[in-house]
Amino acid sequence: MATQQKKTKPYLSTVIFGAISISFYVLLFSNETLVTDTYTKGGIYTLYPIGTVFLFSFIHGAFASNLLNLLGIEAKKK
Amino acid sequence: MKRFVLAVLFSLFLLPLASVVFAAGGAGPDKSMLKGVFTEINEAAHTAVLQKDGTEEFKNLIIGEHVKVESLRLGKKVLVSLDHNAGENVIKDVSIMFMDMTLKKLFALLTVGLVGGILSGFIGSGGAFVLTPAMMSLGAPGAVAVASNMCHKFPKAMIGTYKRWKYGQVDVKLAATMATTAIIGVQIGVQIQKHILNKWGNDGSNLYVSAVFVVVLILVGCYVALDAYKLAKGGKDTPEQASTLAMAMQKINIPPMMNFKVAKVRISAWVTIPVGLLTGMLAATIAVGGFIGVPGMIYVIGASAMVASATELGIAFVMGLWGSIQWGLSGLIDIRLSVLLLATSLIGVQLGALGTTYVKDYVIKITMAATMLIVAVSRGALLPGYLAKFGLVDQLAPSTAVFLESLSFWALVAALGTAGLISTGAMVKGMLADRKETKLHIVAEADRA
Repeated sequence: MATQQKKTKPYLSTVIFGAISISFYVLLFSNETLVTDTYTKGGIYTLYPIGTVFLFSFIHGAFASNLLNLLGIEAKKK
Repeated sequence: MKRFVLAVLFSLFLLPLASVVFAAGGAGPDKSMLKGVFTEINEAAHTAVLQKDGTEEFKNLIIGEHVKVESLRLGKKVLVSLDHNAGENVIKDVSIMFMDMTLKKLFALLTVGLVGGILSGFIGSGGAFVLTPAMMSLGAPGAVAVASNMCHKFPKAMIGTYKRWKYGQVDVKLAATMATTAIIGVQIGVQIQKHILNKWGNDGSNLYVSAVFVVVLILVGCYVALDAYKLAKGGKDTPEQASTLAMAMQKINIPPMMNFKVAKVRISAWVTIPVGLLTGMLAATIAVGGFIGVPGMIYVIGASAMVASATELGIAFVMGLWGSIQWGLSGLIDIRLSVLLLATSLIGVQLGALGTTYVKDYVIKITMAATMLIVAVSRGALLPGYLAKFGLVDQLAPSTAVFLESLSFWALVAALGTAGLISTGAMVKGMLADRKETKLHIVAEADRA
């Protein structure tokens, strides 16, 4: 019988990465004034915005990737 | 190996040059701009005291004639531009650095982020031309909009590059070569801009930027559209067959020759370098280097649209990171805008990237040509205004000026929408066809069993 090997859907990792991502957003926006003031001091403080977007892109990027996977949107298999 | 070491040494040699380069998206922050908080405003005397950001330094400023005193606010971080023609320390313009975030603005940012992301993943560049004006119309000062957009662009490009690298579409060596030469190109572009600004002022500079924008986009856009039309009409997908120009270029046998394995091209560095330089120069002039980088890699170097658009993402990452550091040093990144755009664009860019595996090469070209031509209309609409300011044509009627300005903005929105629709439509069609095929395949297998 031709059965397709079914991959387990990444439910858990989507939820975990999603939760971390949301908490980062909540954290940033609940301290809006402090964050925007500190991040725009220039000089060495440049590390803050650059580091933050790297962090967000890894966490939120992983969430997005898992989410698309979960929805069954994947690249064409050659 | 010897060539690789030479390439690394060459890049190291160029690095000091790169340190003088400002953001890839333009000439970088204006030096005459002050950032700080007003501690005192004297309405009667028309003066104000500004504490410069991050310092204990206080500066006495004179409120310029055209500045409304009511618009100055105490205790809020502001960007102040000075009018050097009116005298020393005269305020020309004040803008509040951090706009108040409302629900409407939040949704607007999330929407443009998503479409910009899809476009970026699909054609390698996209979004910057509309994201910056969109943020400005939401209330962000120009410099903050450019900086925050760039700070969202490079992580998006990074994720996009990673995805498309996994699909075997990114030529890392080509990306590295193009990025290095593009950084030098940016420097040349910035120098030209400065020269024009000094000689013909702000109006001359605006006219120059718009003229370059329109001419380049129409010429290149039409060429790409024509090529895509021919490919679509023939119904064939021939990414392996390079253009006549690229074939001729590949025959030039002047060392050092470079081998690009993923792009399947062997070409002289004397051809690759000018393409990179032009990409950088255009990036410094119109802030969208990809519009020349991708067609350059396709028609001059001879890569497929698939590889060229994927490689462009790698270039965008390097240049975007570099630009973001420059804008960050000046403290102009509004991180809220960057992360809100990222919230949806990181989904969009992955969607666009995987979409390329379902479409034929020419679909990418069609999307790119459509975007370029509509953006050209947007910029073209501003040309009469700039020509009038420069005294080359009669002054425009106020109603005409307003109409042209709104036409320009909505054309940008239309460009983003059209490109989003073409890429999403092609992607969905490809996916459905693929699923149908897989289903038929399974049924056939089952029948055979």
